[in-house]
Order: sequence, then C-alpha cells, then structure tokens
Amino acid sequence: MTDNADLEALRSEVRSFLEAEKPHGWRDASRTQEDFVNTQRDWFAKLVKAGYAIPHWPKEYPGGGRSLAEQKVIYEELAKADCPRLLLSFVSTYHAFATLHECASEEQKAKYMPRILEGETWCQGFSEPGAGSDLAALKCKAVREVRDGKEVYVVNGQKVWSTMAQFADMCLLLVRTSSEGVKQAGITYLLMDMKTPGVSVSPIHQIQGDEEFAEIFFDNVEIPVEQRVGEEGEGWAVAQATLASERGLTLMELGYRMRGALGRVAELIRTHGHQEDRGILRDFGALVSEVDAVCAIADQFLDNRINGVERIGDASIVKNAYSRALRAYSKLGVRLGGMDEQYIAPITFGDLNTGNWMADFMNSYAWTIAGGSEEVQRNIIAERMLEMPREPKSWVL
Amino acid sequence: MIELNELTAAAQKAFPADNLSPARDASWELVAEMGWLMIRLPEDDGGLGLDREASTAIHYEMGRVLATTPLIPAQLGLQAVIESQTLADRADWLERLSAGEYAPLHMLPAKVDIAADGTVSGTIGGVFDGDMAVAVVAKLPIGYALIPTDADGVELVERPIWDLSRRMFDLVLTGYKPDPALMLSDADGATAMHDALGPEAHLALAADCLGGASAALDMTVEYMKMRKQFERPIAMFQALKHRAADMKTKIVVAEALLWSRARDEQATRTQIAGAKALASDVFQFVTEEMIQLHGGIGLTEEHPCHLFMKRAMLNLQLCGSLDSLNETVGREALAAMA
Ligand SMILES: Cc1cc2nc3c(=O)[nH]c(=O)nc-3n(C[C@H](O)[C@H](O)[C@H](O)COP(=O)(O)OP(=O)(O)OC[C@H]3O[C@@H](n4cnc5c(N)ncnc54)[C@H](O)[C@@H]3O)c2cc1C
Repeated sequence: MTDNADLEALRSEVRSFLEAEKPHGWRDASRTQEDFVNTQRDWFAKLVKAGYAIPHWPKEYPGGGRSLAEQKVIYEELAKADCPRLLLSFVSTYHAFATLHECASEEQKAKYMPRILEGETWCQGFSEPGAGSDLAALKCKAVREVRDGKEVYVVNGQKVWSTMAQFADMCLLLVRTSSEGVKQAGITYLLMDMKTPGVSVSPIHQIQGDEEFAEIFFDNVEIPVEQRVGEEGEGWAVAQATLASERGLTLMELGYRMRGALGRVAELIRTHGHQEDRGILRDFGALVSEVDAVCAIADQFLDNRINGVERIGDASIVKNAYSRALRAYSKLGVRLGGMDEQYIAPITFGDLNTGNWMADFMNSYAWTIAGGSEEVQRNIIAERMLEMPREPKSWVL
Repeated sequence: MIELNELTAAAQKAFPADNLSPARDASWELVAEMGWLMIRLPEDDGGLGLDREASTAIHYEMGRVLATTPLIPAQLGLQAVIESQTLADRADWLERLSAGEYAPLHMLPAKVDIAADGTVSGTIGGVFDGDMAVAVVAKLPIGYALIPTDADGVELVERPIWDLSRRMFDLVLTGYKPDPALMLSDADGATAMHDALGPEAHLALAADCLGGASAALDMTVEYMKMRKQFERPIAMFQALKHRAADMKTKIVVAEALLWSRARDEQATRTQIAGAKALASDVFQFVTEEMIQLHGGIGLTEEHPCHLFMKRAMLNLQLCGSLDSLNETVGREALAAMA
C-alpha cells in the first residue's frame, strides 16, 4: 500500500513535471499524420524519461512497478493537464508488453522490451476481412519452409483494421499454420518486422476524417521461426494474453482519463451559459456518477486480477461499462456544443479529446466495436457469467 | 472485529433468499436479536460499533429479500440520537432503541408551520411502519426533534402505497407543542445533523436497491433458463440474453461505486448521493426488464416480479429523487471544475 501522503507527493511531482514539460498546442500540431507522429514520439520520450510512460509494467523496467493507486494518480493528472493520449505507443505499451511479458521467451523479451521504451511502435495484426468477431476464422496463411538455409514462415494474405500499422515498426501477427481440427487449433503467433519485404500497408479513411487504422497485405513474407511466440498451432492461447490486456489494464487508464476530462463538459456548460439549466445539470450529474462508477469497477477489476480472483466475464463488464460511458460523455458534448459541433473542424489525429466533440463522438465507437464488440461482450456475460445456454452451433444456408 | 463475509453469511442464514418479504414483526425481533439495531452504535455506548461497510452489507441483504422490517429508518433514527448534542436523556434513549424500541427518521420531506405560540402543525412524510413507532425523528424548522407518537396533537395516518413490502405513514401534527427535552438539535445544528444523516440514508438505500436488483436478476435468469418457447429455453434467444447481460453489467458497476463510497472515509456527501441516484436508477431498470422478460406471469399478483418493481419505484423517491440528486451532483461537480 502506498499511503496518502506518498500519493499526494507523487501528484505534485507529476504536476510540476507537467507544468514544465507538457506539450502545448499539441492539437494544432497534430493536423497532419507526420506532425501527429512527431508530437506523439516526443511526448512518449519525455514521459519515458520522467518515468510516467509505463507505470503498469513490472519494476525491472525504469518507470515500472507503480502501485495501482500511483497509476491512477498519474493517469488522472495527465488527463487533467489535457495531455495527448499515447495512441501511437498504445499497442506497444499494452498489447505487445503483455504478450511479451506473459508468453515470450527470455531472448524475445530482452530484445523487444527495451526497444519499446526507445520508441519502437507495434501494431496488432489480428482481424481480417472475413474474421472480425469470429477471429478464430482467420485465414492469413503461413507455411513453414527452409529458405536460404533458414527456417521461416512464408506468409500470404491480408489483415485489416490494424491501428497505426502505417507507422509501426513491429506487428503482433496471427496466422493460420494448419486448417485441420477446430479452427482455434491451427493458429500461430508471430512477431513481425514491418519492414520485411512483401509487407505493404494501406491506410483506411475513417468517418471522422483521419486514418487511424490500415490494411496490411502479405505477399510471400518470410518471417524467421525464432519470431514465433509459443508453439506452432498454439497462438490462440497467446492471443488471449494480448486481448486480455486490451480489455483490462487499458481501461483503468481510460476511465481515469475520462474522469479527468469531465472538466471539458463543465467548460461547455459554462461557455454556453447553462449553469442554471436544471435538465442539463441533471444529465451532467448522472454522467459524473456514471464515470465515477466506471473508475470504481475498473479499480475493482484490477484489484481482483492482482489478487487472483478475476472471473470470466469481469473484463467484459468493465469494457461495456467504459464504452457506454464514453459514448454518453461525447454525446453530451455534441449536444451541449450546439451548432459549433456541426461545422467540420480541422482534424486532430489520434485522441479521444480532439477538441471537437463530433470527432470524439465518432471516435467513441472504437470502444463499442474494437477489441471484441459490445455484443460479443454481452454474449460472454450472458453465457459464461450468467450461464445461459448457447445458441445451436450449426446453421444451414 | 466482525468480518464482513461473516456478517453477510449470518444475514443470508437469518433471511434466506427463498423467503421474500418475511413477516415484519418476527423479522424485527430477529434483527434486534442479531444486534443490527446497534450496528453503528459505538462500542462505548454499548453498540457493535461497526462501520459503514458493515451496515451497507446488511442493508444489501435486506434488500435482496425485500425486507418488511424497517431497519433503515430505525438505523437513521438511532444515528440522529447518537449525533445529538442536546437530547436530555440521550443514554436512556440509546438503550431503549438498542433494545428494540422503534424511533424512525422520516424519509420524505416535512411540510410544517410554526405558530406564534411555538406549536407546530403540518405533515411529516415518509414514516415507515409508524404503527410500531414510539417516537419519530423529524426535521422541524426549529431543529431535529423526537416526537412521541402518543403526544397531544400527534396522529399517525397510514398512506397505503403500491409497495407491498413496506407500510408508510404520515405523522400529522395539529398544534403540537415540541418538548424541549426531546430536541435533538437546534435550528443551527439541523444542517450539521442533516449532513450527517444524508450520506447514511443514501448508502443504506443504495444498498437496498442493489440487493433488490441482484435478487431480481437472479430470479429472472433462472426463469429464462427454465421457461421454454419454440422448443428451447427463452434464455437461448440472443435478443433476451443481451438484456440480461446489460442488467448484470449495470448492477455490478453500480455496486462497485457503492462499495467504493462505503469504504472511502473521505467520500463527500454529494458523491454518496450520486451512488444512491445510480443504484435507484439501476434497480428501476432491472425490475422493469424483469417483468417484461417474464411475460404475462410477470403481471400477476401471484408472481413476485411486481414486488420488486414497486419497491424500486418507491426507492427512487426516498431521501431525494433521482432528478434532484443528479442535479445536486451536477451542480457540485460544475462548481468544483471551475
Ligand atoms: C477503431 C478500431 C480499431 C481497431 N484496431 C484493430 C487492431 O489494431 N488490430 C486488429 O486486429 N483489429 C482491430 N480492430 C478490429 C476489431 O477487432 C473488429 O472490428 C471487431 O472485432 C469486430 O469485427 P468486424 O468489424 O468484422 O465486425 P463483425 O464481426 O462483422 O460484426 C458486425 C456486427 O455484428 C455483431 N456480431 C458479430 N458476431 C456476433 C455474435 N456472435 N453475436 C452478436 N452479435 C454479433 C457485432 O457486434 C457487430 O455489431 C479495430 C476496430 C476498430 C473499430
């Protein structure tokens, strides 16, 4: 346990760091992809140096080993100071970290973990055009061969919706190495260098005007077998570690960031002179309690995980609670902003608080669709927690 | 120190889930026997001296069985006496209330006037189970007072309510002359008293709501697995199972907020009011779904669905309505985020 005095000390430490170092005008400086990437890289480097970039990592890494209470303080202060979220390094510091930490070999860890802190970024190559919610139906094919005296997987196929793939150095890649048995059985997990010949990336234009995710195409891409995590055909289990990090750990940061950002709604209420509008005060009050409740459930979830009493479905509850609250938060912003929000604003890349509520609202769908959609989470809650019967498996066209 | 899970286990044993709304008077005796009337009374005053988390756990269990016995108003009445700086026979009253006499705090507003001669007339709303009460803890313009139910100018009028699990009365005063020896605070002290009792009421009610909501969900899930239509349990229909999943999600999330507030000694009054608002909203949502998911049987008197829904609807109004609490939370948050 960290006691209150220590936490308050940390809080003022973070605050004085932010006062001196926080990026000003980062929204204006993120109007193009290149500028966005540069601001993100700079900010990440500063946070790494100050020890605030990876508070959720273990303590053998500089800046890691923070207690949950300390992490919350850091996230809340970052949000209150209106700093950009580390979107570019999101997959590297959560997904790649969790996968490497839990499943990779010592060599792989030693090779990649430090490089993440030096700014190497990762993307996640899981989804395919034919494999979304039904991820295990993926088809991207890998054949094991010896080429130039080295054992490699030769990969052909396509991935889609891969966040920030166009800027990534590395990719967490799921491929099919066998089509025998149940569909989960033939999946293998690879770590791929994005500069490998045969890899091409094509960004996808999104409704809010930016290009957050991309398609990845594979044309006879050779990936050395040493780049495999876990055994061949056992990638599905490894993928669960990646996905679990997305549904659990990230949500505490995001919940506390949303709480820190409630002040933006308050600002709107004042700007538009709604301070005495009781209907709006009620809606705002309900949102405040909802966001507090999201933080409380995220706290409880992580406490349970740390104490080894997490149950199946817990993460689904946290995810659905967060994504619905985020939707409510950004929708209230659009509503209160009035016509201001209906004019197209210059794009700010990569944040949930772009300064334009319509953009934030559109962005909020990311959380009800990505990482297992809201509906898929409901299936998990109903079938695995409430033990309701599954639907009959087969269906004939 | 009594462990929380022991307390919960004892409560579940005394009030098993399959006996909804057990008879009031027998329940009251049981509650007194278990020591719950003294749960928050400091040990120095002869009580159990347990904290908010413990009383919240009890109210949660009582909510689960739609308890008929008025433990929440009793605890609040006792806490008013504990808080009192002015009550003449404080020790005596503490002893009487711990031993099972009932002096509830009213849970709806008081609408009273003071005449020039100092007598009070008007109505004090939301007195639960007034027929059992020896006195009522009421907020008067001159401060909080214990009003004996048998005093001159005092009448209890039952107001039949839809909620069948509780009985509610108005305390009607007609030229009632407050007894100075029974004042719990003066007019100035009333704010402090109100501020001390408010969070206690909100935590207790939030727990009652979420206990009720979780029992309602359990029953609904069980029914959905058992009831068959189109040659399969209705729980297999995704349109329905998703609704059950949302009920579960809302309950678990509201519970997380409730427990975090109950444990946090620094939680503000308004933060706790927000937990009550959320819990009452969730209880209402869950019971509404409960009836719909039961179909026709859910609209019958013989099935308990309606008992949950009616309690939920009443809880929405007690100690501040959903709208007024949300407004308070919004107003305060806005001021804090200046
Ligand atoms: C912003 C964003 C970022 C993303 N980033 C990445 C990334 O970095 N890497 C990556 O690999 N993927 C990423 N994804 C992909 C994401 O994982 C998928 O979009 C998601 O799993 C849903 O798949 P789909 O889009 O094919 O929708 P579908 O699976 O086709 O779903 C369509 C609709 O049907 C519903 N549905 C599907 N199956 C069921 C069912 N069994 N029961 C009930 N409803 C069902 C869905 O909920 C949805 O409403 C990202 C997605 C978004 C939106």
